[in-house]
Amino acid sequence: MSTGERRQHIVAALLLLAALAAWRFSGYAGEDRLGEIAVWAIFAMSLDLLVGYAGLVSLGHALFFGLGAYAMASLALFLKGSPSLALLAGVATAGLSALAIGAIVVRLAGVFFIMITLAFGQMGWAYFLRARAFGGIGGMSGVRQIDLGRLGLDLANPADFALIAIIAAALVYLLLALITASPFGRMLVALHQNEHRARALGLPVQRYKLAAFALAGALAGFAGGLQAQRTGFVSPELLVWTTSGEVLIMVILGGLGTLVGPVAGAAIWVVLRHILSDMTAYWMMAMGLFFIAVVLFAGGGLMGLARPRAAADDA
Amino acid sequence: MDSGFLLLQLLNGLQFAMLLFLLAVGLSVVLGMMNFINLAHGTLYMVGAFVGFAAAERAGSFWAALVAGPPAAAALGAVFYAGLLRRMQQAGAMKQVLVTFGLIFVGIDTVRLIWGDYEQTLPAPSVLAGSVHILGQVYPAYRLFVIALGLMLALILHLGLERTRLGAAVRAGVDDRVMAASLGLDIERAFFAVFCLGCALAGLAGVVAAPVLEIYPGMDMAILIPTLIVVVVGGPGRLAGAFLGALLIGMAETFGAVLVPDFSGFMIYAVMALALLLRPQGLLPARHSS
Repeated sequence: MSTGERRQHIVAALLLLAALAAWRFSGYAGEDRLGEIAVWAIFAMSLDLLVGYAGLVSLGHALFFGLGAYAMASLALFLKGSPSLALLAGVATAGLSALAIGAIVVRLAGVFFIMITLAFGQMGWAYFLRARAFGGIGGMSGVRQIDLGRLGLDLANPADFALIAIIAAALVYLLLALITASPFGRMLVALHQNEHRARALGLPVQRYKLAAFALAGALAGFAGGLQAQRTGFVSPELLVWTTSGEVLIMVILGGLGTLVGPVAGAAIWVVLRHILSDMTAYWMMAMGLFFIAVVLFAGGGLMGLARPRAAADDA
Repeated sequence: MDSGFLLLQLLNGLQFAMLLFLLAVGLSVVLGMMNFINLAHGTLYMVGAFVGFAAAERAGSFWAALVAGPPAAAALGAVFYAGLLRRMQQAGAMKQVLVTFGLIFVGIDTVRLIWGDYEQTLPAPSVLAGSVHILGQVYPAYRLFVIALGLMLALILHLGLERTRLGAAVRAGVDDRVMAASLGLDIERAFFAVFCLGCALAGLAGVVAAPVLEIYPGMDMAILIPTLIVVVVGGPGRLAGAFLGALLIGMAETFGAVLVPDFSGFMIYAVMALALLLRPQGLLPARHSS
């Protein structure tokens, strides 16, 4: 474990403690925020695997978030199946779609990779906008909740949801920390840093990229399924390209390739959006300016400020 | 499907293609010469439409919009360039995408702040308000005007690119920027001039689109992605590429909507994905040496 990674884990542990403390002492509104932050944190971490580690800048990651949410919602609704199975099916749907789409898109690089992921994301959005079976532009409401009565929990209650979502985010962090520390994760970073060298060493570059793309897609689908559980509602907005842009900004804000950075980025983004939208009808302008300032002046994100050697890297 | 219907759809497709072409020119030059993705290009289109709308209200004439919109967009573009884009050139694709993504939000809210959150209408000028008979079909005169304007500007731009000094500098810059600069061409200045021209054309597109589409805060987002697709499909940095891409996407969108309505939204993205896979550098790629 490198010193950078040790520092990340310490920050992550502190964040988890802070989240649990906030959960214990905040009221209804705070609990709802915590749940929202935890869901976005999972989504942002999944994108960090792609952008921060594998160096694949996707502007269509919301596709898998949306697919996970729609699969979860529709399976629980139409098939009357168990919602927890539907959540797993959502993860599988997102992961398999990412595998199929990834097989096509990882052949491109740089600006063209950004563009083709944007194209696929928008295809998904355009589909759900029109698909009558999935409620079209209005989406679907009344998503059935997973029954956690045996644990004495009720997901319709924001406090209970927040607790589950925080635990889920912590587990996803652990999973991704293990993956990025594994030989597979090290290879991803290696091919990001110098693809030619990785290729010359005999690394099957495309296959590694594809694996990262599929894994990131599956985790985004998990976040999407949780989002459907949280709001009880899915709509095409989940997949639109600006959602992909927002989650990318969370990752940059916190610090690329740090896992814990995107979690902090998600927290700041969600809290700031709520504060600003309560303050002014023109909150988008403030967010936009904040956004620009972050990209221009905080290259390595928040984690970059804390680290001597920023891993911030441009694709 | 009878031939009259086909003709109408062809004209509709052509009309939309010309709008896309006007927008794509500026975006294409930025991407082709500077390798820079400017997501805020649609913002200039929106600003052109709103400034044009305000001018037309005041003067009581559509033509005032045509005079006021493009320079306003060009001026704003010049500010963008001096303030942000110039220093973003070396920053890498992701940062460029994100900074200009932020600008989109600032742009939309600024327009809401000034003109309110309403849909506005800019009626076509009275000369062009009627309809014209073509081959037994009735077609709005204004839409024919849009087609004619687009074709005319395409010709002027083509001549400008092939016959003028600035055009030669731009072609050299797209082909090999470093070489052109070392031969003593002021690529930076040529690029700035072309960038402002591209912004003016985006503003013009906003004004011209106003009587056909609606004017509202967020209209930029609706047109941005199709424009990006045109540029990517056609091949960044090539005028002919932008023209061909605009025709392809304009027709795909129009015919998609009438032939396969269930997948209409889908069509242009599918065309883009296909084009990127078959010809990753665009249909008419720039002759890059690097």
